Amino acid sequence: MIRLSGRLRSALIIGMQGIRSRKLRTLLSMVSLFLGVLAVVAVQAGSQIAEQAALGNIELLEGVDGTQMMYVSQNDKAPAVVLDALQGKQHAVALVGTRAFIGEPNVSPINKGGGPIDQGASGGYYCSGYSACSPDDNQAQGPPGKAVELSLTAMTGDNRQFQPFRLQSGRWLDFTSPASLAPRIVINTKAAEAFQRYQIPAQMRITGATADPTPQIIGVVDDGSGAPGAYVPYDELANWLPPGADTSLQVMTAPSETALLQTLKARLTAAGVPAGQLQVRTINSKAHVAEQLELMRLIFLGMAGLVLLIGVAGILNVGLATVGERVEEFALRRALGTPRLLLAGIVLAETLLTGLFTSMLAIGAGVLGLRAAGVLVGNSARFSFLHDLAFPWQAGAAGVAAGLIAGLLGGSIPALRAARIPIATVMRA
Amino acid sequence: MTEPLIRLSGVTKTLKGQEEPRTVLNGVDLSLYSGQSIAVLGRSGSGKSTLLSLIGLFDRPDQGQYLLRDNDITKISERRAAALRSSEFGFVFQRFFLLKHLTAAQNVAMALVNGQGWLPRRKRRAKVMTALEQVGVAHLAKHRPARLSGGEQQRVAIARALVRDPKILLADEPTGALDSETGNLVVEVLRSTTDRGCGLILVTHDRDHANKMGRVLHLADGVLGQVTA
Ligand SMILES: Nc1ncnc2c1ncn2[C@@H]1O[C@H](COP(=O)(O)OP(=O)(O)OP(=O)(O)O)[C@@H](O)[C@H]1O
Ligand SMILES: [Mg+2]
Repeated sequence: MIRLSGRLRSALIIGMQGIRSRKLRTLLSMVSLFLGVLAVVAVQAGSQIAEQAALGNIELLEGVDGTQMMYVSQNDKAPAVVLDALQGKQHAVALVGTRAFIGEPNVSPINKGGGPIDQGASGGYYCSGYSACSPDDNQAQGPPGKAVELSLTAMTGDNRQFQPFRLQSGRWLDFTSPASLAPRIVINTKAAEAFQRYQIPAQMRITGATADPTPQIIGVVDDGSGAPGAYVPYDELANWLPPGADTSLQVMTAPSETALLQTLKARLTAAGVPAGQLQVRTINSKAHVAEQLELMRLIFLGMAGLVLLIGVAGILNVGLATVGERVEEFALRRALGTPRLLLAGIVLAETLLTGLFTSMLAIGAGVLGLRAAGVLVGNSARFSFLHDLAFPWQAGAAGVAAGLIAGLLGGSIPALRAARIPIATVMRA
Repeated sequence: MTEPLIRLSGVTKTLKGQEEPRTVLNGVDLSLYSGQSIAVLGRSGSGKSTLLSLIGLFDRPDQGQYLLRDNDITKISERRAAALRSSEFGFVFQRFFLLKHLTAAQNVAMALVNGQGWLPRRKRRAKVMTALEQVGVAHLAKHRPARLSGGEQQRVAIARALVRDPKILLADEPTGALDSETGNLVVEVLRSTTDRGCGLILVTHDRDHANKMGRVLHLADGVLGQVTA
């Protein structure tokens, strides 16, 4: 123990003397390595951020991988068949989508067409989620006013088993209590933003509905959507929506419910829905996107690795030159009793320290770069995810690993050389 | 007399360079006792440095036997050799081999900071100053080699050799780069170490310096012989 710490301390003193007497060389090593490590850090950070951006909301929007999804095309009898088939099923939910307007009556909404509120009227129709995309809607005509157009989704059960919406405030829908005359809805964050910004009166018009209910907003969820939306238990919507209204219908089930889907298909076909229009899709978006991202990441890491290799060559070059210069010093130290292993260790430790130090600088540059990007473009809606993005720790880890590996690669040959210096030859008079 | 510090018997060494192998030492016998000083004379190329490199464990003999206080160290491992170089031997070279980016005191401390045991900074400094005083250059402790004269540099190098209290001091033409007056001073400093029981082997071309040693040997044709005046 004492022996070891003596070695370690000796190594520390000798190494520091070496670095201090060769500051410029150490700096040159670092310069040659910096870009390589920075490339690794940037690729890792970029891929991590891309992954967050691409995968963070994909389950909310598309559903958890494995979920089975069936679209049911417009048909008068279909809703009744579906509702009946799903009665009492825990792992299957029917979702009925329609459009709704909340706010002043007889005005054209801020986001006419139902798009994101900060993009104003989108002209065409924004069709997201399960909402019907109707090109013609006379309730949206009129002077501009304080109203928001949103997609309204009614569900027969809790869809969060398939789409894990994140509750932001209030509470989620309750599917057990009896329907109320003032429908209890949960809005998404985009709708909540619109309400906060434009002081919109709580009156709701549902496309095709016979009367305007006054909704009770009981909660806000993050559903990953960029446009305003709201959710309501199917029972409550059914009070307002006459049969045959313009809606979309889809069914989501757990992977195990194949039998249920088979029965449902058979019954729908019997009710007159063409079998060709009853496609069941199994969600695998996350795995698919993740695979593509991983491929991209590997390609970019490969390129970063090449840049890093150039840095390693730089360290190696400087390291060999330094050992060549220090032949006499190393021979002398060996003559004075320093074990050759310790000398090799010191040479290696110097480059490892250089690598580590460089990786710190590269990580620092990466953090600053990310922050700068956040300040510069974080305000635009497209890059809003950059705004208060934390530097991914994986990028830091990759940077440190890159620095150490480069130090190891660039330092081991000089270290071997240092250990092999023959004392007798050097010290001969 | 008591047992010798070191005893070489029948030591041979063949060096292989670019040219054909050359047997430089061919049956060297030598004993060195505590407090004894030996001068080794010999023509250039006769193998004096080669002999010192074997004694100092920089290299190993091809044949023969090398005893250190009755322990056979003819074929010891490099790891043990390094430990012995640190604990038993002190080296002085013709070129002083001081590191130019370190002060005199730091150069002396190199022998203490070698991974063989550990002394805290205060003890290290005390030992360094004692060694520098011993050779009369304590006042130059903070100077770098570039600011020292040749004689001063060699005395700093001797302090570095002495700082671990070696039992055997090996000096390879330590006065070769000095004028004769400075050389005399350095030889006197080296000889004085035998008063405290150090064994000294001095390789030199200078007869006057050799004659200050207790015994003078001559290396020729790969063997050590008595000098016949
Ligand atoms: N690595 C080597 N390979 C082959 N021959 C060598 C090698 N090193 C030295 N020699 C030869 O070995 C012989 C002895 O060299 P050594 O340095 O021991 O002589 P020396 O007596 O110390 O000479 P000097 O008085 O000039 O210092 C010389 O002829 C030298 O050329
Ligand atoms: Mg010589």
